[in-house]
Amino acid sequence: MNKKSIEFLQILSISLIWLLFTGIAVWIVTLIRVSLKLHDAPDASVGISIVAIPVFFILASVLTYVFIGLRKGRKEET
Amino acid sequence: MKWGMVIDLQKCTGCGECVAACKLENNVAIVEPKESAMGRTMLWMDLLTIHEGEYPRLRVRQIPRPCMHCEHPPCTKVCPVRATYINEEGIVAQIYPQCIGCRYCMAACPYTVKSFNWYKPEWAPGIRDTVNPDVSVRLDGVVEKCTFCVHRLQKGKEQAKSEARELRENDFQPACAESCPTGAIVFGDLENTGHRVNQLAHSPRATKLLEDLGTEPKVIYLKEVD
Amino acid sequence: MDKVSATPHQDAPLLRPIESPSRNYYIIMGILLAIVLYTGYVYLRQVLFGLGVTGMAQPVTWGFYIINFVFFIGISHAGTLISAILRLSKAEWRRPITRMAEVITAIVLAIGGLHPIIDLGRPDRMSHLFFNGRLQSPLLWDVTSITAYFTASTIYLYIPMIPDIAILRDRGVRPRWLYEFLSWGWQGTERQHKVLDRAMNILMVVVIPIAVSVHTIISYIFAMTVQPGWHSTIFGPYFVVGAIFSGIAAILVLMIVFRKVFRLEGYLKHIHFNYLSILLLIMSLLWFYFTFSEYLTGYYGHEPNEMRVFWYKFSGDFAPYFWAMIICNFFLPVLILCNRKTRTIPGILIASISVIIGMWLERLIIVVPSLANPRLPYPTGIYIPTHTEWMLFIGGVSVFVLGYMTFARFFPVISIWEIEEGRKEGAKTVAERVSSYMPDSGSTSAGE
Repeated sequence: MNKKSIEFLQILSISLIWLLFTGIAVWIVTLIRVSLKLHDAPDASVGISIVAIPVFFILASVLTYVFIGLRKGRKEET
Repeated sequence: MKWGMVIDLQKCTGCGECVAACKLENNVAIVEPKESAMGRTMLWMDLLTIHEGEYPRLRVRQIPRPCMHCEHPPCTKVCPVRATYINEEGIVAQIYPQCIGCRYCMAACPYTVKSFNWYKPEWAPGIRDTVNPDVSVRLDGVVEKCTFCVHRLQKGKEQAKSEARELRENDFQPACAESCPTGAIVFGDLENTGHRVNQLAHSPRATKLLEDLGTEPKVIYLKEVD
Repeated sequence: MDKVSATPHQDAPLLRPIESPSRNYYIIMGILLAIVLYTGYVYLRQVLFGLGVTGMAQPVTWGFYIINFVFFIGISHAGTLISAILRLSKAEWRRPITRMAEVITAIVLAIGGLHPIIDLGRPDRMSHLFFNGRLQSPLLWDVTSITAYFTASTIYLYIPMIPDIAILRDRGVRPRWLYEFLSWGWQGTERQHKVLDRAMNILMVVVIPIAVSVHTIISYIFAMTVQPGWHSTIFGPYFVVGAIFSGIAAILVLMIVFRKVFRLEGYLKHIHFNYLSILLLIMSLLWFYFTFSEYLTGYYGHEPNEMRVFWYKFSGDFAPYFWAMIICNFFLPVLILCNRKTRTIPGILIASISVIIGMWLERLIIVVPSLANPRLPYPTGIYIPTHTEWMLFIGGVSVFVLGYMTFARFFPVISIWEIEEGRKEGAKTVAERVSSYMPDSGSTSAGE
């Protein structure tokens, strides 16, 4: 496998992780909306989302930071 | 409108008619003897045996126990998919197609009223013909329990609507109340002062099971007169 | 044929399992795969015939699956304690242990996370959790926190692995594309080291509260009901302590196994076992403290329903399991680990296995007795697990071993670059740190 295709796969995997975490955030927000519509103790749902969604985004950000940081920190090869 | 039930223990003889009527009315699965011995009998209306005192003053009582339809149900709090919920008329309902069978509500109920379909329900050929068409048949892997015969409520409401009148006390009676030979089980609207349950619920003999838990059950027992 | 670098590496024993796996490896993998396939068949039978194939019934509607769920997730705390806390406290002796611990966490979380699904009566309706889930239910809190912990620990396992993957890539180990893909262009430059360090520092702080929350939330599944024996405020901390306890025991067993199988005596030395086993001893005492508080308060209050569950555990049907748990979790480990003479590697192995068994028994004792003694007069439940449930337990353990062996085939189980860092800078950094603790020289001097 040549360098180009490996790079493409790496970028693809990072994007998929962001997609996954965004999906989780969307899921939690959907559940909050359902609980609001049904007046089913929405405060619990909101409370959880306030904690859970930032955690996932911190994780994705750290991963992206490492990915970009490692690429930038490479010795210049020309 | 808050549907509730009063069971007069003075009149109850422990005959078990309510248990049988409930099973027939609601297509509750009949379970093999081996399974039943394990504890998998499915009884929406169960007859609890309470032993009080010691010989020679031993006293054994049979108490019919449907679902309490609590005002603050511990089971609906924990369901992860909203398969059990309490509706505006106070009935704690069960949505069979929604249930994923996690059995959390069964673990959370302090009255142990819920049953689970451990296997796919099967009926012997003769009994299959007597299945009640008004009640949906459940699959394996879902939780079920007493619904205060809510299908009869539907029918009663439709009947009342087609006759352009209000729902009367006798329009909607669950199978257990209807079948009780001594009239120990009385059912109706707890908030309607015209209904008998409302009057009986205020009787000095009225008591509830596990009242200290704060579940506010809507099945009220009238203690025996000694 | 392969271009594996012929130059012997300083840490050759760590690379040997990857570059030249033995034949026994494949044989064991084959056996495990057969067990896992059979387990899959057994589970399929359960899906087709219904949960009736298990031993559960009213009132004991939760059994092995929930017990093993809590058990496996409990063991996952191995990774966090060793990795994150020891890294945070800059303990140098953590270096050969961190990766092993992190791998345990990642694999065991995946297995544990699957167990509630195995327990479902209608797993085909799992999508209901996504479309109409209720975040008010502790089960959904669980889903969220376990997902968060799984992703966090996988990322926390992966990022410190990057330099090691680069070593494998540079040595030309097959499959090359895998190591190229995963190493993210690591070359060991100073800038790259800085990036890695910063990321690891953030992660090790973030991972700890997530890990604590996971087992606390699992305890909430029980504590949020009103059932006697479950509705206790101590459950949160109790479960976390128990999890760390069983996690350390698991890590010790794994260390002993790898030391033997991969001949890592040079890396996993007596001092590592000594320190970890002292931690195990401390956790055993802590566990006993929590257990004692839990039962003393229940007994002193003497509430009738609580007491029925209490006596069921102390002298009723569950007494053998209860007392076995106390012996396995407290008496045996404390006796072995208190004394330096018995704190040898065989002794530590016995103590750790005893703790793992004891902690499994503890999960059993938490789940079943409260269910078996309902408040209303009901025949007291008995629970006898069936072949299906045993097989799924054995299958779960097999998947764990299989997963671990697959990892060990492709990646080093001891962090090569961290050992190297320890060799180069460890002693110096520690000497500097310790001298900074010393009082300043001269009382009136202006600092020389």
